[in-house]
Amino acid sequence: MLEVDNIHVNYGRLQALRGVSLSVREGEIVCVVGPNGAGKSTTLGAIAGGVTPHAGRITLRGQSLGGLPPEAVARLGVSLVPEGRHVFGSLTVAENLRIGTFQRRDRAAVAADFERILEHFPRLRERLQQPAGRLSGGEQQMLVIGRALMTRPRLVMVDEPSLGLAPKIVDQVYDILIKLRHAANLTLLINEQSSERVLKFADRIYVMRGGRIHLEDRAANLQDGKAIMQAYFGFADGTGAPPPLSPAPTMKRAAE
Amino acid sequence: MIGFLQNLIDALSLGSLYALAALGIGLLFGILRLTNFAHGDFISFGAYALIVPSLEVTATKFIGNWPWYLTLPAIAALVVLLALLSDFLVFRKLRQASAPTLMIASFAVGYVIQNVILMVYGARPKAIDVWSSLQQQVVIGELRVPQLQLVTIGITIVLMLGLSLFLNRTSYGVQMRAAAEDFRMARYLGVKANFVIGLAFAISGLLAAMVSLLFVSQTGTLSYVMGVPLMLFAFIATVIGGMGSLIGAVIGGFAVGFVSVMCQAYLPEELRSFRDAFVFAIVIAVLIFRPSGLIPTKALVQRV
Ligand SMILES: Nc1ncnc2c1ncn2[C@@H]1O[C@H](COP(=O)(O)OP(=O)(O)OP(=O)(O)O)[C@@H](O)[C@H]1O
Ligand SMILES: [Mg+2]
Repeated sequence: MLEVDNIHVNYGRLQALRGVSLSVREGEIVCVVGPNGAGKSTTLGAIAGGVTPHAGRITLRGQSLGGLPPEAVARLGVSLVPEGRHVFGSLTVAENLRIGTFQRRDRAAVAADFERILEHFPRLRERLQQPAGRLSGGEQQMLVIGRALMTRPRLVMVDEPSLGLAPKIVDQVYDILIKLRHAANLTLLINEQSSERVLKFADRIYVMRGGRIHLEDRAANLQDGKAIMQAYFGFADGTGAPPPLSPAPTMKRAAE
Repeated sequence: MIGFLQNLIDALSLGSLYALAALGIGLLFGILRLTNFAHGDFISFGAYALIVPSLEVTATKFIGNWPWYLTLPAIAALVVLLALLSDFLVFRKLRQASAPTLMIASFAVGYVIQNVILMVYGARPKAIDVWSSLQQQVVIGELRVPQLQLVTIGITIVLMLGLSLFLNRTSYGVQMRAAAEDFRMARYLGVKANFVIGLAFAISGLLAAMVSLLFVSQTGTLSYVMGVPLMLFAFIATVIGGMGSLIGAVIGGFAVGFVSVMCQAYLPEELRSFRDAFVFAIVIAVLIFRPSGLIPTKALVQRV
């Protein structure tokens, strides 16, 4: 359903994406993994219309997204849950959930979706009238996923859902995402820094580093993690150097 | 005591004008990060629209002669149009521009409006009386209050309630609040950027139109720079209130009106001509203790 074909993105003189291609088929869960600064967020931003590539094509079901503003891409059924959540802190939880539904004409279905989302996120129901800024980090992550789903998207892109959350909460978030995927018939494109968790449920995985895709394969073929390691850190062979504890800052690498 | 009450009503009515003007500025700042210095000139334009365009010194009323229920919407429509036009012709081209660039552009828009007024109406101030029957005083116990002040305060309350209902109860209002807090995220959720911004310009124009009418009926004069001091005080009000917070803008507006009137009333005779200096000194003092204003907004901090 989504084809990203050789896109390039620059921020000033910094080349953030240097020819990125990826594709997502209807109903798939695709994960992009890569270290800090690899260009994962930039890729999702470019698909969502928030960042303009200076070369390359992005098509959704054959329709080009080139030059469309974010609101137009959202209306085509693509919903981005950006890194760092971005709840509207001064709006209530209910208002946050409704913000993406004002463009929809099917009021009855909106009401039904609202109920359905709250069934998946009972914690949000208790806090409907509270300002969203007062929710905990985990609750905010649930809220922004619920909010994205209220737009009735076909493709949901989630940027590092695990960021800043305790592992137990991350498990919950992923459980719900996968449940929702079946319930709402979603296609998912997820960014993560680590491949460990996503290997369990992704259909396909891309490894990105320095603004390029270094590996693409079915998750089933990557379970031992070796190929991912190699692409992730760029060793000549998967066994040589010991993996650093945390991925090195890659500002320089992206700019080289 | 009576004297103080009298001053208090003066302060409320002056504060109302500042608060309305500050709301118009604050709304655009919240959404666009635009400090719209043309707002004062929107106000001047609304006032001049009451008379027949001519260079003559005596003003001939035109829209100003209509019954109030026609004058009000007509002036509102004209100023809203001007506000939308300035977005369409200027600010829309600068969507990616930085806050200082936007501010300078707004100075330019303001100068253009001032000069058009100069060309069409001439430089000399003109006397005009609108709604002079409102100058009559209402006697409440020992208080004598000009009706106009009560009308000003009343209209301000109605507009604020209306705006607050709009922002909190309607889908467009909720979209505007979301856009003011995190514009990019709102767009990712399908909120149309140009529509929300246009709406903000329209409301800001509507508020400016009301200030035009209330202000000329109080002062009875037209001048091509009449909006400038209003804009200045309203801008100060938004800064004291905390740029970007609408409640802050209202509180700031009333605070500036209050300080201004009280300085006028209670400063020793020989210091009164320095009233504005005292007002500014108090403003500076407030900002020293609360650098981000009385009601700081988180949105602002996140964005910078
Ligand atoms: N708005 C921006 N302005 C300038 N440079 C940017 C901007 N956003 C990202 N970059 C740079 O572009 C490169 C790619 O960043 P991006 O955020 O896409 O990486 P990422 O893979 O999402 O990293 P992380 O895992 O840290 O979120 C980095 O070098 C980053 O510093
Ligand atoms: Mg990122």
